[in-house]
This record gives sequence, structure tokens and C-alpha cells, in this order.
Amino acid sequence: MATLQVNGQTMDIGDIDPSTPLLWVLRDTIGLVGTKYGCGIAQCGACTVHMNGAPVRSCQIPVGNLTNEAITTIEGLASADGALTAVQQAWIDEDVAQCGYCQAGQIMSATALLKNNPNPSDADIDAAMSGNICRCATYTRIKRAIKVAAGTASSTAFYNAAEAVEGERA
Amino acid sequence: MNMKHNNEQLLAGLPSFFKEMVETPVAEAVAAQVAQIKMPEMNRRSFMKLTGLAGGGLVLGGMSVGASKKAFAQAGDDVATLSAYVQIKPDGRITLFSKNPECGQGIKTGLPLIIAEELDCAWADVDVVQADVDAAKYGGNQFAGGSLSTPMNWMTMRQAGATARAMILAAAAKQLGIAQAELTTSDTKVLHADSGREWSYGEFAEMAATMPVPAVETLVLKEQSAFKLLGRRWTGVDNHGIVTGKPLFGADTVLPNMVYATYTKAAQIGAIPTSFNEEHIKSMPGVVDAFIIDQFQDPRMFSPANGAMFAGVAIVASSTWAAIKAKRELEVVWDTTNAETATWDDLVARATAAADQDGAELMVTAFGPNGPSSSPASKGDAPAALASAAKVVTGFYEYPYVSHAQLEPETTTALFQDGKIEIWAPAQIPQGGEGGAAALLGLAPENSTLHMTRIGGGFGRKLANDFVFEAAAIARRMEGRPVKLQWTREDDMMHDYFRPGGFHSYKAGLDADGKLIAFQDHFFTSTGNGTGPMTSADLSPNVFPMDVLANVKLTQTLFQNAIPTGPMRAPGSNALAFSFQSFMHELAVASGKDHVQFMLDTLGDEGPAENPQGMHRGRAAGVIKAVAEMAGWGNELPAGRALGLSFYFCHSGYVAQVADVEVRANKEVKVHKVYAAADFGFIHNLSAAENQLEGGIIDGLSQLFYGKITFNNGVVQQQNFHQYPLLRMPQTPALETKFIVQGDFPPSGGGEPSMPPLLAAVTNAIFNASGERARKMPLSDLGYKLV
Repeated sequence: MATLQVNGQTMDIGDIDPSTPLLWVLRDTIGLVGTKYGCGIAQCGACTVHMNGAPVRSCQIPVGNLTNEAITTIEGLASADGALTAVQQAWIDEDVAQCGYCQAGQIMSATALLKNNPNPSDADIDAAMSGNICRCATYTRIKRAIKVAAGTASSTAFYNAAEAVEGERA
Repeated sequence: MNMKHNNEQLLAGLPSFFKEMVETPVAEAVAAQVAQIKMPEMNRRSFMKLTGLAGGGLVLGGMSVGASKKAFAQAGDDVATLSAYVQIKPDGRITLFSKNPECGQGIKTGLPLIIAEELDCAWADVDVVQADVDAAKYGGNQFAGGSLSTPMNWMTMRQAGATARAMILAAAAKQLGIAQAELTTSDTKVLHADSGREWSYGEFAEMAATMPVPAVETLVLKEQSAFKLLGRRWTGVDNHGIVTGKPLFGADTVLPNMVYATYTKAAQIGAIPTSFNEEHIKSMPGVVDAFIIDQFQDPRMFSPANGAMFAGVAIVASSTWAAIKAKRELEVVWDTTNAETATWDDLVARATAAADQDGAELMVTAFGPNGPSSSPASKGDAPAALASAAKVVTGFYEYPYVSHAQLEPETTTALFQDGKIEIWAPAQIPQGGEGGAAALLGLAPENSTLHMTRIGGGFGRKLANDFVFEAAAIARRMEGRPVKLQWTREDDMMHDYFRPGGFHSYKAGLDADGKLIAFQDHFFTSTGNGTGPMTSADLSPNVFPMDVLANVKLTQTLFQNAIPTGPMRAPGSNALAFSFQSFMHELAVASGKDHVQFMLDTLGDEGPAENPQGMHRGRAAGVIKAVAEMAGWGNELPAGRALGLSFYFCHSGYVAQVADVEVRANKEVKVHKVYAAADFGFIHNLSAAENQLEGGIIDGLSQLFYGKITFNNGVVQQQNFHQYPLLRMPQTPALETKFIVQGDFPPSGGGEPSMPPLLAAVTNAIFNASGERARKMPLSDLGYKLV
């Protein structure tokens, strides 16, 4: 009986075809549907998860190749009491998402970037995020949200902010 | 300002498929809702029938007329349903139902915000729920398209909020024994100024359900200056769910005992499967079933409501991966007798060869009291004007087919049980999906139900419901078991309803003063039926500058080619803006005038257009002047770097853009910055509007440099993002956007008009920087590389 370490828990994944990409194990077997299918060939980044803390394309990792690696998905970022990470909160405050389908992958890439490089330059951000496509083209807001999470840009934080009016955003 | 004027523009912009699709004619509904001509009277008897108190709460009948086909949700024992849009709990918590599909345009936030404004509640007290498809409750127009979600609902949402507020006030007066005139509202509270007391709306919820529904004409709507919520920035209501990975999207639907399916169609569009290696496929691990499904209707023609779908092979398995793995080993015998045979390069060669000739007279159809009538699109005498022109300019432009490439591949979950089909789908026209599935399966319409999920990108692709119908057909076969159909990216890219490619051979004349006096276009496009262009492959004679000129000659050549086409963000405009506005710059250069001045001179009088369905010249001139000022038009830039201007009017929206572009050695292009000035009327959620405008600009840049689908003997040649690149973060320019309001116009939508101007803003800047004119998209075909 195979198991996987996902979001700090040992998951029983049963008698599974070892060629199954981690993406589909997460979505169909474990029921964590936050990780998205976009292209299946590691071009779009929608399926990005962390493996031992590093961002990987889960559509390219056969589950049979995994042993005891720690997998973290978008569902595993917030703490058990529901407190969001700085990156997640920045994504809300900057209203980054349009359709939102790519954003789990974007957030996983951004989270990994900031863990290794707490104060990234524009070029650092471009490089770290260039594997993630956003078809709605929210790149400007993604970059800003990363800087807000890093503490190098001020937050728009307009949700529930009655004083937020047109033109006031820095 | 004349509201009727703007309303007619909206009507004119409606594609015919919207009109055919809905039970309530869209035109009529838009007329009522946007122009405030006349709202349907609340039918009190049906209202009383629909409402009814559920426990300690309030249920208010909808703004819709007539009986609901489904019972109102009365889930809560303590929920008061004030209308199809508003529920209030005794603790003052408010649930607002958002009636239209969310595809990234922000409407699931935007529509409830409008209700909340007139309801006078605090946004923090609101929970938003996606409404189900229900024409009786919501008036029929539950689609996401045409940049219409805001304009067609603007007045209805305001009235829904004001109605609920009026009933709460009446209930409060009765319950408290205080004259209603002494009571006011604010932030989900009823206030009594004389005594200084205040109460939560929740305290009057139950009583409010017993109050008469006020007539629409008695409602007092807020003045814009009194808006507390609208006009600010608001983050999306689903954002918390998005950043925590909650199941919001089509493919996130999970049902007990569910099976997973793929569906394989012929690479050659329209070929029919006659047999496949059934024994092998069925022997593969996890495969539950595999079977051929016949074609239904004519799926080459974009038709979102009739059940049309291509024939193919369905594989049903115990997991998505098992279904995909089996799909890869499919061997199908295809009958190509009636398949498509068109090749893009042939069309390019034929159009190029005929560029100097005229086509057939372009006819336009008008709908009058005596039915449709056809007349030539040409006006005045362009050949005579050209003969008298001081200068004649020609240009041949080409643009390719492109893919929608929305990031969520098509997916639908469906369950056929007890003679009924139930569907969960990311559909832009959910009513068409519901009705079409019934038609496909031979069911009575009431036996088909579609639940809207969040749409992981639409851009018009999910206006078509072919993937919904495929899932319904597979579910019918798998009776009793829920089926989740998942298209692969390759399925998506090879089986789109593409943005059609086309060609324009322009000839235009300037008089001795450099004034544009004549315009000719020979338009080359594709046809499936031999008589008219494919969907979104037509040319409107109202495109600027033709709409403001006296002498225009339009001819057309149709190529037989039924590669499926359909609307994509700013249908028509998304290509026409490239060729028309690039050519306008060619004319400006030939005239010797500054481009901004040439555009303003061509627009002429800055009053409303003579044609009430057309562009308002003053608003057009306003955004051009605004963007020129933002960009520092006329300032010196370093060598090799220049500004380019473009303007486009569509979907009732006015957008001008200026691109700051550097052309380096080896045709490397750096787009440093794009400036945009937009007039969409009143902006009710600045964050969402800005998102649409920024997204449209970058979408345009991506299409301009990369977007190209080709086909060879009816087979699409691109299969995934390695062959069809999309713009990524490093190529994203800096953006500066501005919304301007030029008069008292109701809101129009920003999703579509934001994109078209970008195309020519960049090509015009490339010309200004390098002297080279790009007359073909994508620019990568001309050797340009975006860096």
C-alpha cells in the first residue's frame, strides 16, 4: 500500500499505477483539487507544488518515483488555524486574480522564491516566475503582490478599507 | 446625456447568437434594464406564491416576472429570502446571489456590490453565492459575453437592492410603531435619528417578508454622489478560496462514485470515427468503458444552445490519468469523406494574389419592421473621390487564426439519472448548455439542470458548449454514475472555435490638405455555408474610420473553409483594430500631420455620431487626448525608441493606448510601457476594471507577437504551449491606466474594449522607431522578437 507525505500528513494512496503523475494523485486520489492541470508538459506552471520545499511541476513527476519526499500543495500553505501566509494575504489585498485558475501555481512559485530570497529584485522575480503562465495576464499585480509579501512595497489592502478611493493607491 | 443613445449602441453590439440563445430576448431585456425604459412590473400574485416565510427569516420574490420553474431555495430555517437576489438572517448577515457566470471579469463581486449599495448594507456583512441557472428568477440573461454582464444588469441590481431596503424600512416602521419617514438606513442598520436608536436589518427580516413589494416606479435610487461602495477598489469575493485552493472551478467538482472521461475527436476537423481498437482499450487498467459517440447537429458552426458536438471516442476510467493513458493508445479508423480540407497557406496565397482586385459587393443586413433586408455596405462614391485625391495610399494586411488558450482546458461533470441530466460546468452561456443538453439527449427542457462553476478563463471559448454536450452524451451512456470529462490541452488547442484569420487590401485617399476623403477595403474571409462569413469572421461597415467618412467602398471574397470559428475577446475588433489602426497611421504619415492631430481631424465634430448606434466622437476624442497627455506625446525619446498611438471603439467602450517601444538590433523589440485611457462610463469596482484593462493590454501584446494557429488539410498544427507561446512575466511592460468619465453614461463593460488598441499602438511605435511597417500578425512571422 503506497503512501505520500502531503501537507504534513501521511496519505494512503492505495494500489496506484506508478506512472500516474503526482498532479492526478493529488486531484483524483487524495481529493486536493487546488493544484491545477493546464498543459501536462511543464509549460504553464499551473500544477506547481513544493517537493522538499522546492517548486516542481507535479504533472511531470510519476508517483512511483516518490518515496518519502515532503509534498506541499496550495491547501497546505495556511496554518492549521487558517492563518494565511504573507503571500496569500498579499494576493487578496492586491486583488491579483482574474479567473484565478493559474494562481495556485503562481503562489507556490512565489512562496518558494521568497523563502530563498526574501528581498528579490525585479529581475529575480521575473526569473522565478517565468515558468508560470497567466492567460488573464495579471503579471503586474503578481509582481506587486510578491513585493508586498516581501515588505518592499506598500499594500493596497482595500478590502474593507472604507478610505480606499480612486487614485489613492501608491 | 441621452441614455437611449447608449442603449442602442448596446443592442447594435449584440452578436446574433445571444439573441437566439435566450428565452427572454436579450435585446428587450437590455433595453429595459440599461435604458430604464420600462422595468417589468412585479406580478404580485406570483410574488406571493414564490415568497413565503421560512422559519425566522425573510423571503422576497425576485425582480422576475411569472412563476419560477424551480422552488426558491429555502434552505435555512432562519433565512429570510427577500428576493431572488437577497436573503437576510436574523443576525443581520446578508446573502446576495450573483446571477451571471464568473470568468475572471469580476462579476461575482461586481453585481452583488451594486445590490449592496442600494440595499445600504456594509460589504463586510455580505456573503456572495453563485446563483443557479433560472430564467424565471433571473430574467434569462445569465451569460458572460459581449462585455454585457455589468451594463445589462446595472439597473436591475440597483432596483433589487432598493426593493429589499424599502421592504426592510416598511417592516421596521410597522414593527417599531415609528413613522417610516423618520427612519433611515446605513451599514445594514435601520436608524432613528430622533431617538438615536439603531437596529440591525436582521431584526426586521421576518416582518419584511410580509410587506408589499413596492412598485418599481416608487423606488428611490441613490444619487451617484451618495454611493458608499461603488466607485472604489474591491477585492474579489472568491479570492480567499483561490489562494487556499478551494474547489471553485469546473474540474474541481467531485461527486460520489464518479468516473473520469476523455473524448477524442479526429485531428482532421469533421472526420468521423468508424471503429477503434476497442478490445485493447477496454483491457487497459482502470478503463471502465469505451465507445463511439455520433456527431450531433453541425458542430463546425458556432451554436452554443443546440447540442452540437463532433463525433469521437469516449474513454471512461477510474481516474483522469487512466483515461488519458488509454487515450494515448487509441487507434481509430476515421472516415474523412466530409472532413475539412482547408490549408492556411493556400488562403494566404489566394488572398495575396487577389489583393489588387475588387471582391464581391459587401452586403449588410438590417432588421426593420418588415423583417431583415440586405443592402450594400458601401456609401458615397469612393472610386470618384480616390480619382480626385491628392494622395492615394494602399496597404495589404494579414492576421492569422488564433486560439483562446484559456488556462483551464474544457471540462464538465454530468450525471444522468432517472431520466434527467444534471451538469456542473464552467460555461459562459449556461442556459445554452442546459437547453442544448436536453436537445441532444431528447429530454424535456425541465429535465436538464446546469450548475455554474467558476470559469478558469473563458475569453469566449466557453461560450461554445460542445464540451458540455460531450459530457452529457457520455453521462447518458454511463447512466447512474457521475462522469467528469477532462479535455487535454491538445484537445483544446486542436478543437477550438478559433478567432478567424483574414486579409484586408486597403486603398484610401487624402485631399491636398491631408484630409481623409475616401476609403476602400477588399476583405478576404472564410465561409462554411458559401453565402456568409463564419462566426466572428465578418466585417462591419461601422469600424472607425469608415463610420465617419462619406465615401467608403467595401468588397469581400469568401473562401470555402469551415474550420470552426467563434467569438474571442472583442470579436472582430481583436483583429480589425490591428489592420485598420495601423493603416490609419500610414495615412497620418502620408498626410504629413501628427498622428494625434490626424485622428482628431478624421473624427471631426466632437459631437455624438449621426448614427445613434455608432461611436460618440467626443468620447473618442477625449480618450485620445487623455492618453497623449499621459504619455508625453511629442516629447523626444532616445534613438531607436518611439511612441505609437492607437484608438478603438467597441462594446460601447472607448480606449486609446500609446506604446513606448524600442526597436533594437536583429528586430528585438522592447515594449517599455503602455499607457491607456479608457471611457467605460461609471466604474463601479475600480480594481476589477483596472484588471480588465491591464489584462487586455497584455493579452493583445501576446497575440501580436506570438498568436498563430495554422491548419493543413483540415488539421490544426499547434497542440500545446510549446508551439503556441503566451506572454510571460519578463516580457510584461510597465502599465499606466486611467479611466475617464465624459458625461452621464451608464457603465459599459471593460473586458473586451481594453484589448484591441494595443495591437496597432505597438506596430505604429515600431514604425516610428524604425521606419518599418508591420502589416502582418504575428510579428514573430516578420522576424520580430519581444524581449
